[in-house]
Amino acid sequence: MPDEEVLEEGVLNPIKTEIQDPLLQAILEENGTSLTAPTELEQPAPVPNPTEEVDCVVIGTGAGGAPLLARLAMAGLKVVALEAGPRRNPITDYATDEKAQSFLFWNDERLSAGKNPVAFGNNNSGTGVGGSTLHYTAYTPRAQDDDLHLHRDFGVGVDWPFGIDELEPYYTELEQFLGISGPTPYPWSGPRSKGYPLAPLPLNGAALLMQQACAQLGIQTSPAANAALSARYYQAGIGWREACTNRGFCQAGCNVGAKASMDVTFLPLAEAHGAEIRADAFVTEIERDEKGRITAVVYEQHGQTVRQRCRHLFLCAGAVETPRLLLLNELALTSGQVGKHFMAHPGMQVWGTFSEDMRPYKGIPGGLISEDTHRPKDADFVGGYLLQSIGVMPVTFASQMARGRKLWGQQLRDYMRNYNHVSGINILGDCLPHESNFLELADEKDARGLPKPRLHFTAQENEQRMNAHSEKLMRDIWTAAGATDLWSFERYAHVIGTARMGLSGDDAVVNPDGRAFDVPNLYICDNSVFPSALSVNPALTIMALSLRTADKFLAAQARLDGNN
Amino acid sequence: MSAPLYPSGTVRALLATDLVTDATRAALQARLDAPVHEPVFFEPHTYALFQTVAARLIPQPDRAEPIDVVGGVDKRLAEGKADGWRYDAMPPDREAYRLGLGGINQAAEALFQHPFVALSESQQDAVLEAVAAGTAPGENWQQLPVGRFFEEMLAELTENYYAHPLAQEEIGYVGMADVPGWTHIQPNSLEPREPEEVK
Repeated sequence: MPDEEVLEEGVLNPIKTEIQDPLLQAILEENGTSLTAPTELEQPAPVPNPTEEVDCVVIGTGAGGAPLLARLAMAGLKVVALEAGPRRNPITDYATDEKAQSFLFWNDERLSAGKNPVAFGNNNSGTGVGGSTLHYTAYTPRAQDDDLHLHRDFGVGVDWPFGIDELEPYYTELEQFLGISGPTPYPWSGPRSKGYPLAPLPLNGAALLMQQACAQLGIQTSPAANAALSARYYQAGIGWREACTNRGFCQAGCNVGAKASMDVTFLPLAEAHGAEIRADAFVTEIERDEKGRITAVVYEQHGQTVRQRCRHLFLCAGAVETPRLLLLNELALTSGQVGKHFMAHPGMQVWGTFSEDMRPYKGIPGGLISEDTHRPKDADFVGGYLLQSIGVMPVTFASQMARGRKLWGQQLRDYMRNYNHVSGINILGDCLPHESNFLELADEKDARGLPKPRLHFTAQENEQRMNAHSEKLMRDIWTAAGATDLWSFERYAHVIGTARMGLSGDDAVVNPDGRAFDVPNLYICDNSVFPSALSVNPALTIMALSLRTADKFLAAQARLDGNN
Repeated sequence: MSAPLYPSGTVRALLATDLVTDATRAALQARLDAPVHEPVFFEPHTYALFQTVAARLIPQPDRAEPIDVVGGVDKRLAEGKADGWRYDAMPPDREAYRLGLGGINQAAEALFQHPFVALSESQQDAVLEAVAAGTAPGENWQQLPVGRFFEEMLAELTENYYAHPLAQEEIGYVGMADVPGWTHIQPNSLEPREPEEVK
């Protein structure tokens, strides 16, 4: 309905949808069902103007916002974080149940367009104090230097404005602070100044069978690096965190605090140093003065509209809400890159049935990794991918099986009775930026009356070739492992790009320090600034960028102070 | 390999123990104890049609009281809740379900000259096969991508089914017993609280 402004149903403001279909209207009228037009939003009262101005407002408390929030607070700045979602207590609030944890997901509707529409909700979008790290699967491989230089090496895409040496110290710091479990030495990803602080987590059924099959095929594997504690760990500034219980529920919320989500790591550290975190605070407006400097942020919280004045703004809302806020506020648009070059990682999965009793709900889901496919010799594509064993919970598995395999009726129930015997492998691969993949504001409105984001994604030739290459390889691995009834599921995970970083404001939104080229006191830090998608899971790199952005900001402030 | 069978009562027995956290028990017990859902969003005829469709998509001839997979959809639509995304080619969920269920009835009339609920099970399956294959007749499909509707409806009903403790007993899932950690995580290695297959 491109010409209709339809207020979408929403949690906060349920309304009836306007019916477009005349036949259906007639049927409904016959049945006496009323056809209610969308409710008009009430005219908001004037927002009170508080006098207090803070040094920094940070929008979003996930992997992009939380590390820098702690850094800025520790430097003595007065900082406030605005988080759209609620604050929860994992121990009492997190059921080991997929449906009961749906509050962790960003459930405001996003429109998915293109030939390969990307799933959101429980796929890579979180809400709440901790953001998407509340339900990330805690994969934390490092990017490799050549991941940052696809253009240099292949002549396509764009390079990052710096090399891996800029990120390495932050990777090391993060691995030590978060207590990442992983093997030392790690077989891939180049020189590193320190090994992982904790031993790898134990391998579960899928990981062990993949390990044996890869050995037969000459593919090197290793226990993966995971941001879940393989032993009790003392975390500086926070205290002891408990070890992982192999509950397998990492794709949702960890209820023991073993998974290094931001709510049990950087956010308590930030609060201990005076940062203020305001939950349930949904930002709607970013205000500027006549010179274009940001002066305040307006947000809705518990039915109230609040204005917070600030000297600097850090926008860390993720690669959907960040460009959406920029577009809504007509901010940082001079490069024309906001919303453009949206990338999503190919996440092809291959599932098989084993005679062994596998119980895919036990152990860290991503136990085993191979990066032998980082730059495959027989590749007919640019870039590369990594291989991971995967565990899965039953509702997620059943749902994607229904979508991907299209079994229904008795066949569906018969197949699902094999749940304890299924195991999967998946890839996480690079994705090239393409002009036909982008985010825009739709005409359709959400419950707040704001335009919904619409994301266009079509897997281009490079992604299709990578999918084909990896599917064949994963089928070979699972066949060698003795699996039967193989099936593949083409999927795309992670939302990357839409506000890229670069050397020039002509073709990038932020500079190498994360500062917007055309707004002097706006910094952006999340996966939206990635110039390329990387062939690894993004969370660790987002956090590394976050610390780096904070350090660059603090250094710039120090220089300014010195000039005073 | 024939699909395994598991003893019944496993999840219900676990819920009565201290192996399950309070939050987890509350979520699962609420599903077990849920009263019969009375439709709020769908009008009764549409609701009956939807239940008939669901009974073919997730047939439960083995259960005296089938797990209710449709009530959750009605409740969600009435509350106006979304799951975070929607295919751009699809109208909003409420309209999609109204159009799609109406379209299933149109296909039943076109193929077998009777409404869907009046057809035999094999005729109903033939209608649903046409919907799944994207070849179903009916003017509603001019406004609703038939394949996407089938996928969305099947996925939601499937999720509702396997979220239910009795369906989880059926497939031998006991991941909800989350108080003690899991130590036997290798293949063919079970904890005492994990049900063994019925030989």
